[in-house]
Order: sequence, then C-alpha cells, then structure tokens
Amino acid sequence: MQLFSKEAMWDRKPLKDRYRIVIIGGGVHGLSIAYYLGKHGISDVAVLDRSYLGGGGSARSTAIIRANYVTKDGIPFFHQSLKLYQDLSQELDYNLLFSQFGRVELGHTESALYALRIRSEANRAMGVNSLEIGPETVKQMIPAIDMRVGKTFPVLGGLYHPPGGVIRHDAVVWAYGRGAARSGAELHPHTEVTGIRVDRGRVSGVETTKGNIDCDIVVNSTAGWCSTIAQMVNIDLPIVTMPLQACVTEPLKPFLHKTVSSANLHVYVYQTDRGEVVIGGAVDPYPTYSQASTLPMLETLAAHTLELFPCLANVNILRQWGGLCDMTPDYAPVMGEHPDLGGFILNCGWGTWGFKAAPAAGMNIAKLIATDKAPDIIRPFAITRFKEGKLVNERGGAPAAAVQ
Amino acid sequence: MAKRKNLTQSPVRQGNRIDCSREIKFSYNGRWYQGYKGDTVASALFAAGKRIFSRSFKYHRPRGLTCVSGQCPNCLMTVDGVPNVRSCIQPLSQGMQVEHQNAWPSLEHDIFGMIDRLGKFLPVGFYYKSLIRPKLLWKIAEPFIRRMAGLGKVNLKLEHGDEYNHRFLHTDIAIVGGGLAGLTATVEAIKADADIILVEEQPCLGGTLRHRVQDIDFPELPGLSAQEVADKLAETVVSSSSVSVMTNASAIGLYEGNYLGVRQGNELVKIRAKQVIITTGSYQIPLVFDNNDLPGVMLGDAVRKLIHYYGVSPGNKAVVVTSDDNGHGLAKDLAEAGVEVIAIADNRPKPDIDHSGVLENPRVPVFWDTSISRALGKKHVRGIEIVTSKEASEYQAPLKLKCDLICISTNSQPANSLLHQTGATIEYDKHTAQPLVKNTPAGVFAAGEVTGIHDKNLNVLQAKVAALKSCQNLGILRRKKQLESLIDELEQLEITSRSLPRVHCSQTVPGISDKRIVCYCEDVLEKDLNQAIEEGFRDIQILKRYSTVTMGPCQGKMCSAAAIDICARATGTDISQIGTTTSRPPLEPVSLGVLAGSVHTPLKRTPMHNRHVNLGAKMVQVGEWLRPHSYGNVWSEYQAVRERVGVIDVSTLGKLDLKGDEAAPLLDRLYVNRIGNLKVGRTRYGVVCSETGVILDDGTISRLAEDHFFVTTTTGNTESMESWFKWWSASTNDCVHITNITAGMGAVNLAGPFARDVLSKLSPIDLSNEVFGYMGNVSGLVAGVPATLMRIGFVGETGWEIHFPSEYGEYLWDSIIQAGQEFGIRPFGVEAQRILRLEKKHVIIGQDTDALTNPYEANMAWAVKLEKEDFVGRGGLRKIKGLPRSNKLVGFVMKDGTVPRDGDPVIDKGVAVGRVTSARYSPHVGRGFGLAYLPDYLAVQQSDFIIAVNGLESLAVIVDQAFYDPEGLRLRG
Repeated sequence: MQLFSKEAMWDRKPLKDRYRIVIIGGGVHGLSIAYYLGKHGISDVAVLDRSYLGGGGSARSTAIIRANYVTKDGIPFFHQSLKLYQDLSQELDYNLLFSQFGRVELGHTESALYALRIRSEANRAMGVNSLEIGPETVKQMIPAIDMRVGKTFPVLGGLYHPPGGVIRHDAVVWAYGRGAARSGAELHPHTEVTGIRVDRGRVSGVETTKGNIDCDIVVNSTAGWCSTIAQMVNIDLPIVTMPLQACVTEPLKPFLHKTVSSANLHVYVYQTDRGEVVIGGAVDPYPTYSQASTLPMLETLAAHTLELFPCLANVNILRQWGGLCDMTPDYAPVMGEHPDLGGFILNCGWGTWGFKAAPAAGMNIAKLIATDKAPDIIRPFAITRFKEGKLVNERGGAPAAAVQ
Repeated sequence: MAKRKNLTQSPVRQGNRIDCSREIKFSYNGRWYQGYKGDTVASALFAAGKRIFSRSFKYHRPRGLTCVSGQCPNCLMTVDGVPNVRSCIQPLSQGMQVEHQNAWPSLEHDIFGMIDRLGKFLPVGFYYKSLIRPKLLWKIAEPFIRRMAGLGKVNLKLEHGDEYNHRFLHTDIAIVGGGLAGLTATVEAIKADADIILVEEQPCLGGTLRHRVQDIDFPELPGLSAQEVADKLAETVVSSSSVSVMTNASAIGLYEGNYLGVRQGNELVKIRAKQVIITTGSYQIPLVFDNNDLPGVMLGDAVRKLIHYYGVSPGNKAVVVTSDDNGHGLAKDLAEAGVEVIAIADNRPKPDIDHSGVLENPRVPVFWDTSISRALGKKHVRGIEIVTSKEASEYQAPLKLKCDLICISTNSQPANSLLHQTGATIEYDKHTAQPLVKNTPAGVFAAGEVTGIHDKNLNVLQAKVAALKSCQNLGILRRKKQLESLIDELEQLEITSRSLPRVHCSQTVPGISDKRIVCYCEDVLEKDLNQAIEEGFRDIQILKRYSTVTMGPCQGKMCSAAAIDICARATGTDISQIGTTTSRPPLEPVSLGVLAGSVHTPLKRTPMHNRHVNLGAKMVQVGEWLRPHSYGNVWSEYQAVRERVGVIDVSTLGKLDLKGDEAAPLLDRLYVNRIGNLKVGRTRYGVVCSETGVILDDGTISRLAEDHFFVTTTTGNTESMESWFKWWSASTNDCVHITNITAGMGAVNLAGPFARDVLSKLSPIDLSNEVFGYMGNVSGLVAGVPATLMRIGFVGETGWEIHFPSEYGEYLWDSIIQAGQEFGIRPFGVEAQRILRLEKKHVIIGQDTDALTNPYEANMAWAVKLEKEDFVGRGGLRKIKGLPRSNKLVGFVMKDGTVPRDGDPVIDKGVAVGRVTSARYSPHVGRGFGLAYLPDYLAVQQSDFIIAVNGLESLAVIVDQAFYDPEGLRLRG
C-alpha cells in the first residue's frame, strides 16, 4: 500500500553531457512538461533548476485554481487546465488535496460589478461555470464577511465560480516530478544554467554550473527569471518581472470555505485545510527580481483583509513572503517556439496565472515538442502576437490590476 | 531575595515581576482563579496547579509550559476571545476570560487524544498517499479533515475597532534587545551623544541577567550580582535623555533601508534608523528524546523565569539535563527555591578542576558524560531515564529516577532572524556548533549571543565595538583610539576563546520510541523526517514543505536546529552544507489589526450632497464618491433634458489647475491631441494615452489664459492623472504648477433647450451663440458666485458646465433650480446621463474602454495627432496604426425588443468574441441600443451581429453615426 511505502520519489543521477531536451526551470511548469513528454514516449529529458525543485514561483504561489478568464483564447486554455487538475490526483496517483470549494469574487462598486459581469457572461458563453450572485448569496456562502452598508467598500455582489478552488501546490510539483522521473526524465536541482549555446540559428546546448550539456531543444520555463534566460540568447521578451506578496495566519478552526477575492481591494483570502488563512495581494507596482517582502505591503494586505473580515483583527500573521511574476502587457502567457531561434521554446509570461495553467501548459508544450507543431489551443499565445498587435486581452481577468 | 520554602505551599509568592499586594481575578474555563499584578496568564495558572496548557495540533498530545518566552506553541489559549494567545507572555488583567483550545471536553481528558494511538496509520505526508481513489472519496473526506484542523476559534462578531495605531519614529541608532549586550551598546552610544531607541520585548531591561541570576562575572562592575548589574546598566540607560526605551516591544522585521517594524501592544511602530545594532541574544531549545514533549519537561530558562519572575515553584523533584555550567546554576536556583534536585545529568566529561564551582554542592549528584534518554509518565513527568555515553566507564545501563520536573538546559540558538532578513552572512561553525555572524550589511551591527558566541566578556566587547562603529558611521565618534584598541582586544579574545575545548550536545538523543517530537507546533516526529528523506525529500527546503517541520506557529524557533541536525545525519551531509529554512517576517506573530492600524477611508460627498438626499435621490458609489443615481424617475429626467432643461451635479470630475509658461508644452506632451494651439477662451476634448498607446483618461482642457489651463479628468482617475501629470512634469523639469482642485471646486452641468434661458436669468455673461459658442469658456459670475463656464455637451444638448468654489454649492444649486422652475427644470442623475450620452455615442473611460483599448479601436483616431512633436504614447500609437486593427467599438441597435446588459458577450460561431460595454433602452430610438467591441472582421464585413442577452442570442444592427442628433445641431444651438 502506498501509504506505508518509502519508495523514493525520484533518484539522484549524475548529469550527462547530452540530452535531447533540456528544460530550464524545475518548477511546476518544467516538471509538468517533462511529465507529459514522458506520455509521448520522450524520456531523453533533463530538468534543470538553480535551486531546489519547485523553489521559485511554485513554492510561493497561493495555488488558486480557476478558469473564469475573459478572452475567447484564455477561457478554453484555462478551462482545459482546470479539467486536468480535477483528475490529476488519480492521474499522478498522489493526493493533491484539491479543495474545490468554489471561488467568489466580490464587487464593491457598480463598475466592479460590470467587470465581473463581463467575465460571467463570457464564461457562460464558453461553457465555464461562472455566475453573478447577489449580496444575500454572498453572505450565505461566506458568513464571516462584513456586509455592513455605508462603508467604503460595501459588498454589492459577486462572481461565483463553483469549480474554482485551491490545491496543495508543493504536492503538484512533487507528483509531476515523480511522474516525470518514472518515465525517464532526469531532475537536476541545484544546477544553474549560465549560458545557452547556439549553432546556425538553432540552440545546441546549455552551460551549467555542473558542466556543459548538448541538446536539440531548450525550454525556457523559468517564470520570474525568463527574461534573463532569454537574454542569454539575446532575445528581449516583452515581459517585466514584478513581485507579488502574500502572507498566512496561524491555524484557526475552519470558518471560511470559499476562496474570496476583491478586485477593488486587491486582495484575496482563503482558509487552507490546515486552518491557516492565506492572504494574497496585487502585484507590487515596480519591477524587481527581489523576492524580499516589505512592511507597507503587509500593512495593506492586513487592512484590506479586515475590510472584508473584521473578525480577523486579532488573528496573528505568521509569515509573509514574496514571489516573482513575469508580467506581459496583455496578462496572457507566451507559449511556443521562438520564430528567430530554432529549438528555443518559450513557456513564460506566467505572471500571476501560472500555477492554474501548469497542466495545460505542460501538456501542450509537450505536444508541441512531440509533434513539432503548436496545438491550436496555444497558438494565440505565440510571442509573435506582440509584433502583430494581436494581444490576448486578459487584463480584465487577472486579480492584479492597476499596473500602469 | 528572601528565603522561601516550597513555593506552591506558600500563600504569598515572591518574584521580581509580580506585586503580591495587588490581586487579580480571572476566569479559566468558567472558573475563577487568582493571580497577581505582573503575572502572565500562564504563570498564574501554573501557580494554581495547572500543568496541561494545550493539546498538540495533530495527535492531541498533552502539552505543558515549555519555554515561558512566547516562542513555543505549547501554551496557546484563547484569551478574551482572542485565539492562539501565548499565555506565557500574556500579562494577566482583571476579569480576563481564559479558555483552552483544541481539546474536548477538557485539556486533561481530550477524546481526540486517541489520535495519538493511531499515529502508525498517519505517517508523514499520509494525506498525499491516501484518499485518492475513488475520486469521490476525497470530496467526502475533506470536510471532516478540515473540521479537525486549526487551533483557536475566530470570533465572527468581532469588529475592527479603532484601538490600533501606527507611529513613525526616526533615530540615529536603533538597538534591538535590552540584555547585557544591548545595554552595554546603549551606554557606549550615550557617551557619543547619539540619539537612541532601545527596543526590548520584555517588560523590563536586563535580558538573561534577570533570571540567570548566578551567572555573572562582569569585569566592570565587580562584586555585583546579575540583578544588580542589570539594575545599574538599566538605570544609566533610562536616565539618559538621548535614549528612548521601548519595553514590551517586539521587533517584527528589519526591512530594506534600516526600516524597523516594532509591535508594542496594539501599536505598530515604524522606525527609520541610521544605524541598527542587533543584540537579540539567544534562546534555549529543546532536545529530541523519547517522550520529549511530556508536560513537566521544561527548558532551563523557563524554570528560572518561573522562579525569579513569578515566584512559582516549578516542581517538587527535579532533574537538570545540561551541557554547560549554566545548568549547574539552575540547579542552585532550584535548590534555593525549595525544589529537591535529584540529579544533574551533564553531557560533558567530568572536569579535572572545578573551575566554575559547580561541584560545591555535594548533596546533588552529578552524572557526567550523561544525557537523557526518556521522559517517563503519561500526562505529566513521573520520572526520567538517563544514560551514560558508551565511552564513559561508570554508568552503562540506563538509570531511572523519580522526578516531576525535567529541566533541559543544553543548547541555545541565536535569535538571529533579523540578521537573516538583512542578508547578513551567517555560517555554521563546527567548533562551537553555532551559526556565527560573519558579516553584516552596512549600517547593521550584531553583538552578544545573537552572533553565536556565548561568552560574556566577548559579548560586552562586541557591544562596545558595535556602538562605537555606529557612532563612527554617524560621524560623531570622538574616541577613535578607543575603538581601535577595543577592536584589537576583541580579536585577541576571539582567538583565545576559539582555542578552548568545546563539548556540545547533539540535538537528538538516540532512543526507541516513536514519539520523539521534533516540531511541537505540527507534531512532526523524528521518524517522519527520516522517512521523508528516504522518500527523496533530501533538501531541507523540500523536507520542510513535505513534513511541515518549522512551518507552525513557532516558525522553526524551537525545531529548525533539530531538523537540520536530523537532515544532515540522514543524508550524510555536513551540517554547514544543509543551509537553513528561511525565516520570514514578521519575526514575532503580529495581528492583522495591528498591521492594519485604524483604517479611515471616508466616502467623498459633493457640496450639494444634502440637496440630493433631501430630493430623495438614490445614491450610488462612483469611485470614492457618492452620486445621485436618479431622483426617482429616470425617464422623466431624460425627458426634461431632451425637451426642457436639466441639471446634474458633476462635482466629482477631477479638476487640475495648470499654471506656468510651460503648461502648454506639457499638455501637448501628455495629450494625444494638439493643445498648444488652443486659444484663450476655448475648450477642447482631449485623450491621454500610456506609452504603449492605451487610453488612460479623457476630459476637457480649457485655456483660461496664455499660461493658465483648467483640466478635467474622469471621476475615478483624478489621483492617478494627478500623479501622471506630475510625474511627466517632473521628469521633463517643466516650469508649471499642477494643483488638484477637485475638492475645492463644485460643478454642475446645465443642459437642455432652455438651458440658456435659465442661465441668463442668473448671469450677466453674454450667452449668445455668437459670443459664447460651442467649446468656448468664460469666467464670470453666476448668481453672484465667481465661476468658470464651459460650453460643452456630454448629453448632446445646449449646455454649460459651471465650475465654482465648493462652499457655494448648495446656494448655487438652489439658485439654478429656482431660476429653472418656470422652464420645468429637473435635476438628473448618473443613470439618465448615461442614456443621454450613450445616444450621442460619447464613451466613458473605464466603461467603454479597458486596460488595453487604444484610440483607433475606440473611434478616437481623429484625436491622435501623430504629426505632433513627440508625446506620450506616440511610439506605441504609430506602431498600432501600422498594424491591422483587431477590435472596433461600434454602436448598435437591437433588432428585437431585447435590451442587453453592460458586459453581455458578442457571439460568433459559438465563441464569445466581443462584448457589450454599455447598453440601455433608448427613448429616442425606441429600442435597446449601445456600444460593443467586435473583432474587426465582424465590424467591417457585417451589418449585424449576435449578442447573448441573458444567454439567448439576439441580433444587433451596427449603427455608424450617433443615435441622437448625429450632426450635433442641438448642442451647437
């Protein structure tokens, strides 16, 4: 029985000097790509990470899963990802503790309700379960919420997305890692890529702190650092890295069984199965690669949380952390081979929406590599869209707004 | 201190923190108890005989007082409705209501305690490996698991009151920690006349000097006891006018730029310090052995605090487990407090000479080379099993002793989280088995035991050097020679100190039981960590995430050393290579209320607010403002404007006043339109774009004089436009003053066929079309009030926007209403305005545009003057213009009787390809109508398209012109 098994999740192997595919970034995306490559029978794969597995964005993500996006391109992609998540525990034989308790996004002004309605209507038209709810229903679903009228941010209504929820993010990383390793991929944490070699318009290998590797394909799956990796081959990505901070309280007896967010307040709140209340905010409005947390942001998160849940005033914050978001101008990701460099595959621009997308991104990038053809569902996200002016406007859909 | 016998039997307790003349009554689980002023909740309960203070998170194991320093989770209780209060540092107050947590029916008899016996079925990460199939199983099981989680209960009735406060301070030197090192550093810095803030988390200064009373040999104050040394130093510090001492104050984080966050009661104090000296000391940590979490197993310092602070006897028969002289001092304390010390188990080999005088007490047997192997007992310690190491000859077999108190006084951990946060270099030192501070960033110093060095003489020297170096950085050091000689002395002493032999105690003592707790908070066992490592979680960071060790309320304070030790052993790695788990702020738990402070975000009201309320208007929140939605009947308001005359309060418009020679060039740079050629007395509609060509805002620009402009912005964008204007003005160093006069000016829009008639009754200004034409502006009197009038027509009728000082708001409103009586004037709200403007196809920024809309999509290409000299957004707009357009904002009228709602999707081949941005019923057209974004191919190739109205598809016909008065004859009339 697996419960008592002590089988190792993955083995440590020496780094070889050649793999067919090198995936830079051992987070949930890199490992997901490696896993789905395995399903195509491709096992000559190395996943490299400069730190421990899942130590970047994956570790810092607040792991909210949802599909209630805005655009005709975004909705089917994230919907596919949500559906993959729903079956992922069985697929990977690992309980990912997916709490699919639904998500409520609150509107405090008429214009916020309008923005929510845009989403609910677009979702409904595209087959995603998402509906407008009134204040009474909000109170019913979230008894702890402050419904007093006459305050600055009264709860006027919300967008309810029943399939939304929260997943145990580290477990997703490990389970994908185990799946990838079982199908033959090698995982190499603490192996930092320092350069990418190019030969006649194609990538030919990577240089790492543990030696050089020849390869045919390099996948840039490094989220917050993706622009620095692209710089190694002189590619400027239209991506700016910005920090996002979150914090968590001491464990409390369960009182909140939805993920709750507010676009007006730039805050989202949920309670984990362990009883901790997780609080996340908007992207800080400045570019940086620093993951340090700041006191003003913690104060803002606290104030905005109390606006919704004044009952938490005497609850202690245990820790605060920051993560990096690789923000694109249209808040949609970048997926596909770079047109100017053969074998250089981009899987980046994951901003604040990366964790939700890991299964679909992994599956489709793997398919792209296996078939040498981008699946239709990710075609709109090609890097060329910025040159062609065909942006995928997801800015109305991301919780992070107000970035000018 | 007075001689005492067994303190539990003594009616009056004696401790240096409590005042026995002042009794305090409090209730615990509904029964009344008594303590004294100065007591903590835990000390009073302990004195009353309570021994179990909590049940553990996962296994519901009984837990007793352990650290008495607010660090471990073993005394968490609900106090006055506040969950998870560390009762050992919570001051007791009159009438306090204390309740236990996470146990039913009581802490002594908790039925969930049976989980402890099921431990075998709950190996590390069991939840990842079970309840996977069938899929439904997890859905069913999860709610039950959720119910078991958590510790304290949230009081849902609680309100976020105004008892919280934020305070800002500036200082030359902030010193964190008022123990020996902190006090010494403060005294040195006083001599240099530095301005100092000393932050101490305890109620009084002195640190360990207040409870390790025998443990002092202070060279500068010979012959004094530790208490007396503390008193002496504290007196110097407190009496100095350049020091402000904050007690009961915990540093929660040291952020970039020496920005120190301190929690003091309900206040968050934010200190910007030029220099910071960290003297936070160290704290004792528990050992891992069989049954190591049994109530009655306490840290040595905890025991000393109970005795010296609160005058409570910690037990009757004690065994001290130690690895240094400190433990022997503790034994003396115990004996003096009337506790029978059964034995001292000292991890060190028997010394040849008794240099510390610990062997003086022949009544206490000392077992050298000996450590604890097991605590005996079920709900409380009833005995101890000690074992002598194999190398020693005397005691081979484990020895069982009867006792009710086990004092663990072995390893200490520097309280160096603040230093970690600043990015200081801290390296594990094998010789001392301590993390040593190697380097600190500029402006940050460390001194005392926090540096990993436990030597009073060295610590004092470190403190002096840190103080003098800080003063040197501040440019106020007069005694440079002294600093040099102190640095020399410190280096010498460090060398000597390093040459001394060290014996350190391993964090884990071998044993046989399953129940060897590494992490008190999360009930992580040693075997859990070993198994996790076997499963491949070899990296300390992943090990932490998988096993949850260090992730509970203590944030690793109690367990990170043991976890690292176990990880090193199990992976065969050197401890120095393991690294540490990251300590993240806040370094002390701090409540959301304290962090938030008292929040005041008042709603904004216009100068005519009360008039609207009196008229029975339904108010709606727009941005931060309250505005009339309607006064009861939208259609008659609409009708009044179209047929007679209406007035609307538009005070919420953002209003910027720009003065200066370079105001015109600045506006030319900020707007995509041309502004420089605007004549005095004329007004123009303008659009502001971002660098990438996205529409940020629109509004009117009125030239009042050559060098004076009056600009309006969208209500919700006032502040962002103000900063946008100022940002660009500053970056180009323009000679222009930008003043936000939004709150100072009220405004109304008077519109309709009779608007001129109404206004001419109130104003001497010539309102004729020839003199005051469309898009003109004039300043003059309206009802005797100085005002600026603009002839603009958002609603599509002849009209004036009248701006005036807010204080005349109600008077002017009344005057207009009165003058308009004979023409059938009606006030109208934002809903009527929305319909009126929509019939004119006037867009509202934020409603009909979004975060990526450019002027070419929104039919504003006419406004963009690419031929202008450079302006913000020109590059982006040029690029956009060269690309095929992807979307287009079109006007539409419904073919059937439906009226779509704002936000309804536009459907093409079953896909939501666009959306309605504004839609209403148009009295003019007699159908549903509005604006919608379509993909360009739809907008260009087709004359109609499909909108899903309430889920049902309806046909809409594209209308190119404005729906009402497309020639604009009425608003120019």
